[in-house]
Amino acid sequence: MKYNYVEKAVQVTRREFLGMTGIVAAVLWTGAYAVTDIVEDRNKYIKMRADGLYKDDEKHAVRQSHKNKSLMSMYDKLAAKPMSPLAEELFHTKYVDRAIL
Amino acid sequence: MKIFDDHDVVLKHTLPVRLFHWCLVLGFLPAGITGIVLFFRPFGPEGMHFVMQIHIVGAWLLSLACLGFFVFQPKRVAAFWREIFSWTKRDIDWMKVSGGYPQKIFLGKEISVPLMRKMNSGQKLMGIFVFFGAIIIIVTGLILYVALPLVPKETVWYVDKIHLVVGVCLLGAVCGGHIPLGMYNWQEFICMFGDGTIKVKDAVKHNKLWVEEDIEKVK
Repeated sequence: MKYNYVEKAVQVTRREFLGMTGIVAAVLWTGAYAVTDIVEDRNKYIKMRADGLYKDDEKHAVRQSHKNKSLMSMYDKLAAKPMSPLAEELFHTKYVDRAIL
Repeated sequence: MKIFDDHDVVLKHTLPVRLFHWCLVLGFLPAGITGIVLFFRPFGPEGMHFVMQIHIVGAWLLSLACLGFFVFQPKRVAAFWREIFSWTKRDIDWMKVSGGYPQKIFLGKEISVPLMRKMNSGQKLMGIFVFFGAIIIIVTGLILYVALPLVPKETVWYVDKIHLVVGVCLLGAVCGGHIPLGMYNWQEFICMFGDGTIKVKDAVKHNKLWVEEDIEKVK
C-alpha cells in the first residue's frame, strides 16, 4: 500500500437521492417531450407537403413527361431524342458522392 | 487540528475517478481540436472525412465515460455536485484574489488566500461550467449525429451554433485555464494522471480544509 490516508466515504442521504433522481427524471422527461414535439412537428410539415404534391398531381391532366406535348415538341425542335448525347449534355446532371464529408 | 507526518500519503483520486479523467482527456481534447478543424475546413474531402471520424470517436468516448461515471459512481457524482454548488463567503474572497495565482505567477509573491476543501473556487466554477457544458455539447452533438433528418432545419441551425459556441468556450477554458494551472500545480497533475496519491504536506498547501476534515487514516 502506497498511501496511509483516504477520503472519508461519501454518504448520500435519502433526501439527496430523491432530489438527484427527480432532477434526472425531469431533465429526461422534458428532453424526451421536446424531441417528440420537434419530430411530430417535422412530420406534420412533411405530411402537409406530400398531401400538397399529391393534390397538384391530381389537378394535372398530363402527369408523365413522355406524354407532355410541349416537352416532346421541344425535343422535336432540338432534333434530339431523350437520352441522346445532346439531351444528356444539356439536361442531365452528374452524380457526386457526398457520402463522405 | 490533525498532526501529519512528512511521509504521510493520501489517496486523493480513486481509480474510477482517474479513469474517468483519462477518458475526458482522450475523448474531449481530440473532439475539441477536430471540432475547430471541422469549422475551418482546411483539408480536402478525404482529410475532412478523417477528421470527422476522429471527432465522432472522441465524442462517443466522452459521452460513454460521462454516462458510465454517472451510473457506476453516483456517490462521486453526488460529492462533485455538493462541492461545486456549495459557495460561501470564503469562495467569493478566493475569487477576488484569483486564488493568489496572478500574484504568484506574474509578481512572484505569495499572498494569503482563503482555505479550500478538495476543490478551490476556480475549480468549482470550472466544474459548474464543465457539468452544464458537457451536457449541452453531448445532447446537441447527438442531435447532429443521429437525428439530423428528423429535426427541422431551423432547429438544426441553432443546435449547430450552440454546439459550436459551447464547445469552443469549453475548449478555451480547458486549454487556457485548466491545463496550464494543472501543470503549474505539478504535484496535483502527477496525482491525477498517476496513481492518485499525493503527500499530505503537499495537499495541505491547496486543500487544507479537505485534509483537516475529510480524510481519515486507512483502517
